[in-house]
Amino acid sequence: MTEFPRQIALQEWDRRYDQLHEAGLAEPSYGGPISRHIEDGDTRLLKLRYDNSAAALRLWNFLLTEEDRLHKARAEGRKLVGAMKDLGTIPVMAYSFNNLTAFYPDGAWWIPCVMELNSGLLSVADKLGIDESFCPVRAMLGAFVTGAHFPIPELLICSVGATCDDFSAIAQRLNSLGYAILWWEIPHRRHPEPDEQSVNLPGGFLAPKSQVEFVKSELLRVKDALEELAGERLDDEKLSAGIKRANLVRAYLAELRRLVFTAALCPLPALEMLIAEMLAIHFCSDQNETIMVLKCLLDEVTARIKKGAGFLLPDAARIFWVNPVADLQVMNLLEQCGGRICGTEYLFTHALDAIPQDIPPTEALAQMALADPMAGSSADRAARISADIRTFGAEALVISRIPGASHCALEGQVIGEIVRDKLDIPVVELEIPPLTDSIRPTLRTRLEALVETVRERRKK
Amino acid sequence: MNTIIYSCPYVPAEWIAAHGLRPSRIMPEKIGPPGPFALVEGLCPYVHSFVNEVLTDKCACGVIVTTLCDQMRRGFDVLVRRCKLAAFLMNVPHTWQSVNAQKLYVDELMRLGRFLVRLGGKSPSDRALSEVMFEYDAARASIRAARGHLSARRYAEAIAGFGRDGPSDVPRAASGERVSVAGVPLAIIGGPLVRQDLDIFDIVEQFGGRIILDATETGERGMPAPFDRRGVRDEPLIELARAYFDGIPDASRRPNSELYKWFKNELAGGLVRGVIFRRYVWCDTWHAELCRMRDWVGLPVLDIDVGGSRETHRQRAPNRIRSFLETLQ
Repeated sequence: MTEFPRQIALQEWDRRYDQLHEAGLAEPSYGGPISRHIEDGDTRLLKLRYDNSAAALRLWNFLLTEEDRLHKARAEGRKLVGAMKDLGTIPVMAYSFNNLTAFYPDGAWWIPCVMELNSGLLSVADKLGIDESFCPVRAMLGAFVTGAHFPIPELLICSVGATCDDFSAIAQRLNSLGYAILWWEIPHRRHPEPDEQSVNLPGGFLAPKSQVEFVKSELLRVKDALEELAGERLDDEKLSAGIKRANLVRAYLAELRRLVFTAALCPLPALEMLIAEMLAIHFCSDQNETIMVLKCLLDEVTARIKKGAGFLLPDAARIFWVNPVADLQVMNLLEQCGGRICGTEYLFTHALDAIPQDIPPTEALAQMALADPMAGSSADRAARISADIRTFGAEALVISRIPGASHCALEGQVIGEIVRDKLDIPVVELEIPPLTDSIRPTLRTRLEALVETVRERRKK
Repeated sequence: MNTIIYSCPYVPAEWIAAHGLRPSRIMPEKIGPPGPFALVEGLCPYVHSFVNEVLTDKCACGVIVTTLCDQMRRGFDVLVRRCKLAAFLMNVPHTWQSVNAQKLYVDELMRLGRFLVRLGGKSPSDRALSEVMFEYDAARASIRAARGHLSARRYAEAIAGFGRDGPSDVPRAASGERVSVAGVPLAIIGGPLVRQDLDIFDIVEQFGGRIILDATETGERGMPAPFDRRGVRDEPLIELARAYFDGIPDASRRPNSELYKWFKNELAGGLVRGVIFRRYVWCDTWHAELCRMRDWVGLPVLDIDVGGSRETHRQRAPNRIRSFLETLQ
C-alpha cells in the first residue's frame, strides 16, 4: 500500500515514479512515467491531480496506451471490431473469440478534453457538418477521418433504436462517408403489460420477454457477422466463458465501488474511479490486463481502508454523480470544493451489473443490453439512481449535462424531480463542456454551494 | 367520437379509425408557444410545441408518441408525468432491413390495438380494417392527384387537413385547372412543420419561387405508400405495416439510404432548381444530413434553422429565402 495517499500533480508524479522504481516497482510492458504522454499531445494531464499509488500509475498507463495496444493487436493478426453506442454488450461477445479485439470509437469523445482541443478533431467534424450543437462524441468522426487516434476497425457495429440521436446521426454521417456499419436495434424498454410474460433484468429493471427475444435475435445477427470476421464459430460454451470473464471484471468493479463509495474516508479519488469504471465497457482492449489493473486498485483500496487512510476530509459531502463528464478535471474540482463521489451512473450501469450465468448466454447478453439505463424511460433511470443513492448513502445528486446531447435536454428535469420527491436531497444540474476553464468559477461556486447545503442539512 | 392524437407519420391513422376511434394527426400551431411546459436549452422546438399542444388539448382521450426521435421519446416521459390523457409510446424501429424490425413494427401495431381497445375501441375484423384502408388510400390518391391543381400552400394544408380530420373532406382530384404559378421551382425537405410555418410557401412565392415538392415530414414524404389491393384483401394488417414502415423514408432510419433514393426519384423530372433544407435547432437527425445533402443533391441548398423564438425566425427566414431566390433567378 502507498504509505501516504495523496493527490499529486503530474510534475510530482515524475519524482514519485523514481521513488517507486527505487523501491522495486515492477511494471507491465506499457509502464513508464505518466508525463511521457504529454508528448502525444495529452496536455490536459498537466492540469489534473492524481492518486499517488502504484495501482493508479498502472491504471493511467493502461488507459493512455490503448492506441498502441490496438496497433499491436492488428500487427499480431487480430481483427478489430469497432463497437458503437451500446456501451458494454458487443465487446463481451467479441472477446469470447480468440482473435478479435473490440473497442469503442465513442471513447474519442474525451480526446478534445485530453488534448485541450488541439487534436483538430472537432474542426474536422465541423467541416463535415457536425458542429458544436452535437455532443462532443462528434470528435469520433474526426478520429475516423484523420485515422490518427485509433486504427480503423475491420467491422463497425452500432446499436440504434433507444439511443441518443446525436450518436445515431453522427454514426449515419460516418456511414455516408463510406464506412460500412452493421446496425442493430435495441428498442425502447417498456414496462410489461398486465398479462405479458416479463423478465427481471440485471440491475432490477423489468422488461417484456418479447423484447428480450427481439434483442436476442438482433444479437444473433451480430454474432453471425463476428463469426464471419473471425473465421471462427462462437458456440454457447465459448460465449459463456466470455461472460464469465466479463463478470470477473464486473465483480472487481462492484467490490471497488462498494468499498470506495461507503468507506468513512475516501480511499480512491473520483477521477481514478471514473477511469476504473470505464474499463468495464470494453476492457481498454485487453480483458486480462483489465482484471490485473482492477485487482491492484482493489488491493490498494482494501489496504487503505484497513489502515484508515484516505483522501479528503471525513465530512466531505457525499455526492452521487449522473452522466460522465466531458472534462475530466471536474472530478478533481468536486473534491476541491469539499465533495466526494459516493455513487455514480455514468450511462453504463448495465456494463457493471453481473450478467446472468444461469440462462443461455445470448439471452443473458440480450437482457444486459436491454438493461441499458438509456434504453428505458427517465423515470426508470431515476428509480435506479434513487436505489443506488440509498445503497451508497449519498447526500446530494449532481446531474452532469453533456453539451448538445439529445437526452440531456429533458432527462435531468425528470430525474431531478423524481429523486427530490423520493429522497428529499438537493439536486444540481450542471453542463460540463470538454474544457471547463472558462466556466470554472461558476462551476466551483455551484459545487461549493451544494457542499454547503449538504453540511447545513446535517445539522438539522 | 373519442379522438386519438399523434404527430408521427409512422402511426397508421387507418388502424385507429378501424378501432372505431378518431385519429387526428396534430400539427402544433407554432413554435415557442407559452404553455405549461417551458422551453429549455437543448430542447427541440418542435418537441416543445408538441408537448404543450398535448398538455393543453381538451378534446382527445389518448395520445400516441413514437420512438422515431430521442427527444420525442423523452417528451413522452414528460407527458406521462404531467398529462391526464392516456399515453402510448410506440416503438418504431430505426433499422428496417431485417425481418426482425418489420415484425417488431407489426407487434407494436398489435400492442397499440390493445391500447385502443382499453380506450373504448373495438378490435377490428380484417374486413373492417380493409374497408378503412381502401377509404384512406383513395383519399390519399385524391390528394396526390391534386398536386399541381392547388397552390403549394393549399396542397400542404390539404395533407395536414387529411391528417387532422381524416378522409371526409379531401380535395377532389383534378377538380380544377392546373395552378400556373411562375417562379423558380424549389423543393423543401426536413422534419415536421407547425401550422404557422405554412407561411413559408407564401414567402417563397412572394419572392419569385414556388415549391413543387414538399418533402417535409408533414408533406408528401410523410404519406405511406399506396396499398396493394390484393394485400389489403388477404392480410390487411401486414399490408398496412408494409405501406407505412417500408413506404415512408426518413432521416432517422438506419441506414437512411431510402430517403435519398426517394428524394432522387422525386427530383427526377429535373424541374427543381434549389432545395430548402428546413430543420429545428437541436434536431440532430436532420441537422446531420445537411452537409451530406449539399454534397449529394447537386443543387443549391438553403439551410433554414428554426430555433425557439418565433420572432427571430419570422425576421430571418424571409430574408434568407429572398436572397436564395435572387441567386437562382
